[in-house]
Amino acid sequence: MAVNQFHVEQAETKDAYILYVSGELDLSVVPQFRSILGSIVNLTNKSLILNLKDLKYIDSTGIGIIVSVLKIRDSLKAPFLVQDIPPPVKRLFDLTGISGYLTEGVEN
Amino acid sequence: MREIRLQIPSHADYIDVVRICLYGIASKLGFSYEDIEDMKVAVSEACNNAVLHGLKSSADAHTAIDISFVTDNTSLIVTVRNDGPAFVYTDALEKAAPLPAGKISELPIGGLGIYLMQALMDEVAVHTTERGNEVVMTKYIP
Repeated sequence: MAVNQFHVEQAETKDAYILYVSGELDLSVVPQFRSILGSIVNLTNKSLILNLKDLKYIDSTGIGIIVSVLKIRDSLKAPFLVQDIPPPVKRLFDLTGISGYLTEGVEN
Repeated sequence: MREIRLQIPSHADYIDVVRICLYGIASKLGFSYEDIEDMKVAVSEACNNAVLHGLKSSADAHTAIDISFVTDNTSLIVTVRNDGPAFVYTDALEKAAPLPAGKISELPIGGLGIYLMQALMDEVAVHTTERGNEVVMTKYIP
């Protein structure tokens, strides 16, 4: 089992900023992920989309960051979507209760 | 299988090594992919707490987290020990819960780690020792 390096690829469409999050999102990459989000989470002119298709691992610290993004986007009344959630990640989202707050987007 | 011990510096950068080691041991014991994924998260959460609340490893002070893997043929028992002040773990274990339903603005941030440890393992016990803390997590072998 190779360690899956955390990586975020940014893309921009007509309607959305998309972050393709891959690898392992754990405590060690919290500062890196926060700084990437910092520049984009407050932009209200487009939707913010997290694409989790290649996310191999997430723990409570990663889920905590998504909770904080939810809160910021909610306070700005700006759209925030999550797409392509892999089954193991979905299971943790369901267990922690964050699923009930997430809007699942479709690939566009 | 005899006891297997792993020691990592008390720093977030080494927790992935614990997951790799756990993956190997749990595979050898015949755990399913899903069970291994569950254990990876639970054990990482215990290590996260050790890194966040235990004594920090720095250039002039090497602090470690000790992880032990033991099996009695019916279960895998993973123990995570760290040096440092006792966390109020017993209290936290009782309060651990998933996110409440309600308004996004009222959602708490944090506190999910201990809940996940409990939800993903069959048994979780916490002991406070003179040196620090010890979290003992058990998963039954299918």
